[in-house]
Amino acid sequence: MTQSSAVSGAIRNERQQRLAAAMQAEGIDVLVVAGNAWRSDYLRFAADITPIEGNALAFVERDGTARVLIDSAVEAARLAAEYPHLSVSASARLFDDAEALILRLGKRNAALAPNAAMPYRLALGPLGPTLNSGTALLDRVMLKKSPAEIDAVRRAAALADDGYAIFRAASRVGRREYELVADVEAYFRSRGCPENFQILGSGGVEVRGMHPPGERRLAQGDLVTTELTPCVEGYYAQICRTLVVGEPSERQRRAYAVFREALEAGVAAVRPGATAGDVARAENEVFRRHGLGDYVTSEYTRVRGHGVGLYVDGAHILEDVTLTLEPGMTLIVHPNTYHPDVGYIVLGDTVVVTDSGCDVLCRTSRELFHEPV
Amino acid sequence: MRRGLISWSREEVSEQQLDARVARLQARMRAEAMDAVLAYTAFDRPAAVSWLTHFVPYWNEALLAVFPSGAPVMLASFSKRMHPWIREVCRVGEILGAPGLGRTAAGMLEERVPGAARIGVINRDLLPWSVAEPIVGAVGSDALVDATGMFASIRQPSDAAEIRLAEHAARIAAHAFESIPRDAAKTSEVLATMERAARLDGAEEVLLRIAPDLARSAVLQRIEGDSALGTCYAVECSLAYKATWIRLTRSRGAAAPSWTPASQWLREAVATIDEAGVAAGPAHRTSAPGQVAAWAIEACVDSHPLSVISAGGTADAAKAAAAGGKLPAGSLATLSLRLELADGPWLASLPLLVGAAGNAAHPLNLTG
Repeated sequence: MTQSSAVSGAIRNERQQRLAAAMQAEGIDVLVVAGNAWRSDYLRFAADITPIEGNALAFVERDGTARVLIDSAVEAARLAAEYPHLSVSASARLFDDAEALILRLGKRNAALAPNAAMPYRLALGPLGPTLNSGTALLDRVMLKKSPAEIDAVRRAAALADDGYAIFRAASRVGRREYELVADVEAYFRSRGCPENFQILGSGGVEVRGMHPPGERRLAQGDLVTTELTPCVEGYYAQICRTLVVGEPSERQRRAYAVFREALEAGVAAVRPGATAGDVARAENEVFRRHGLGDYVTSEYTRVRGHGVGLYVDGAHILEDVTLTLEPGMTLIVHPNTYHPDVGYIVLGDTVVVTDSGCDVLCRTSRELFHEPV
Repeated sequence: MRRGLISWSREEVSEQQLDARVARLQARMRAEAMDAVLAYTAFDRPAAVSWLTHFVPYWNEALLAVFPSGAPVMLASFSKRMHPWIREVCRVGEILGAPGLGRTAAGMLEERVPGAARIGVINRDLLPWSVAEPIVGAVGSDALVDATGMFASIRQPSDAAEIRLAEHAARIAAHAFESIPRDAAKTSEVLATMERAARLDGAEEVLLRIAPDLARSAVLQRIEGDSALGTCYAVECSLAYKATWIRLTRSRGAAAPSWTPASQWLREAVATIDEAGVAAGPAHRTSAPGQVAAWAIEACVDSHPLSVISAGGTADAAKAAAAGGKLPAGSLATLSLRLELADGPWLASLPLLVGAAGNAAHPLNLTG
C-alpha cells in the first residue's frame, strides 16, 4: 500500500450513502461536523479526515459534497493534498467563516454535531438558535458498521495481535514501562500505522489498574497488563492481555482462570437481540460464582467492555446499559478488574456481531503468557 | 491518544515552580475581578492545565478550576481509580470525580462562587458544548468571559524549569533525527526509527509529518501505509517531554548544494527574532538563499501546545494564518519556514528563546 491517508473508496461510498439516507430521513440539508485530534471520529465518518492539530469543521451536504475549514494552515495544506476530493480552506477566523459559509450554502435545515466537539462559539453564535443537533443522527449511523468498515476493524485486530507479540518480546526484567511502549509504537509505525491507544500496568497485588507508561522497571514475578488499540483506515480494534515475567505462580494461574472463563461467557452472550447489559452480566456472573462479586463494581473496574470502531471507547458494556446488539456492531469484551490475590488482570477480544452470534477478531491465544527471565 | 512516558519529577519542575505559575494567574484574576478561571484539557489542548499543574490527560477530559486564592480544583472524567495516579503526576488541590464534566462544574460553581459575575474560560469559544451547556445553564452565558487573552498575557516568558524541559525535548527530537538510517528508502523506516528513538528517550508524545519527496511536493503529510522516499525529503517532529512541546523540522537525504547556505541563513534568521520583531518574522528575508515561501513563529500561549503567533511568506497557506502577534523576551517559540531554493524546496524549523528588543534570540541547545 502506498498512500498517505488511507481511506478506501468502498468505505467512503458506504459512509456517504448511509449519511445521505439519514439526512434525507430527518430533512437535514447540511451537517456541520466539528472535530480535532481528540475527537476526530465524527469527522472521519462524515468527511474522511483526521486532524493532527487544530480545530476543523466539515460542512457535508446531502449529495456528499464536503467542505472543510481548519484553523491550522499546515493542516489545511496537508488535508488538501491528502484528500483532493474535499474543498479545504485554512481559516484564521474559523467561526466567522463557518457562519458565513452556512449562510452562503443557503440551506433550510442545518445541524451541528457532535456535542462532544461542537465549539461553544458556534453553538451560542448568531446562527445557534436556527441550527439543529445532528449528534443523535450521527451516533445512530456510526453504530452499525458496513462490510468495508468491518474489514478495516478486522485488519486492525490482526495488527493488534501482531503488536502484542512485540509487546511480549519487549517485556523483559529491568526494562521500563515506557520502553515497552516504544517497541510497540515503532512496530506499528513500521507497518504504516500512525495511531494507537495503549495503556499498561506492571507489578503485583498493589496494582489496581492500567495507566500510561511510567518509569517502573519490570521485575521477576510481575503481572504485566496492556491494552493495545491500533487504528487502520480510521478504525480501531483492541486486544487486552496479561503476562507474567518468569514462571506464573499457582495463585496467578488460578486467578487468571476466572478471567478466561468470564471472557468466554461474555463472548458467548454477544448475539443480535442481546443487550450490552446481558454481556456484562454474563461476565460478572462468573466473578460472583467465584466469590469475587465485589470486584465487578465501579470501585474496581470501569466497564466490562465497550464499542470500538472510529473511536476507542464506544457504547459501554455495563449491566445497566440497555443498548440492543445488532449485526455489524463492533465491540471489545473485556472482564478487566482487580483480583485481591494477585492484582489487576486484563483479558479481552474485539468481536463483531453477526446474524447468529459474533466473530472474534483477535487471534492471540487467551492463555496467561509468561516470558522467560 | 498520549502513550509515551507520563511522570512528574520534582527535580525537573518543583512544587514551588507550579505554585508560582498559579499565583501568576491568580494575581491577574484579582486584577481583572474574575471569580474563577476554567481551563479545559484533553488530548488536543492540554497545555494550559499542564503548565499550571503538570497534568496531562493521556485520554479523556478534565477541567481545572482556579479561584482567586487557594489550590486549583480538578474535575476529572477519569474513573475514581485513576485519582491516585493523577496525584502522582501533578499538583492540584481537590480532585472531584466528574463523569458529567459540565454538570459537575456547574454544581461546583453554584456552590463555591454563587452569583459569580465573571468566570473566565481559557479558549472559551472552543469549549465543547457537552461541557459548556450545563455551565451556561447554571451561570448564564453573560458570566462566562473569554480568558484566553488574559491567560496569554501571563503565560510567557517561560521560566527556567520550562526552558530546561524544552531543551531536553529538543535534544530528544534531534537524537530521533540522528537515528534515521542513511539508506532509508521508505517513510515507514524513517518514522518507525524516529518514533522508537524518541520514546526510548522518554518522549511523552511524538507527532510526525513527512514530505516524502521534496521534488514532488513540500506538503508535510500524515502517512498511513507507506511511501517511497525521494532523493530529498523532510520530516517535522512535534514532540513533548513532561508536558513541554517543541517542534523540529529537517530536510534530509542527498543534500542539495544550496542546503548549507540555507542552514546558515536559518541560524542567522533565528537570531533576529526579538520581542520587537515577532510580528514581522525573521529579518533579512531578502538575503535568504532563495524565496521565503512560508514562515511561522509559534509558541504556547493558551491550551494548545503551539499556536501561530505570526506567519507570512508567499504561500497561500501562510498568508491565511497570518496572526501578527507578540511575545515577550524570554518566550519559548519555534521558527518554521519553507525556502524555495534553486534546487527545490527546503523545510526547517528551530526552537528558540525570543530575545529582548535589540538582542539576539537564542536557538535551543540541541546537543547538550
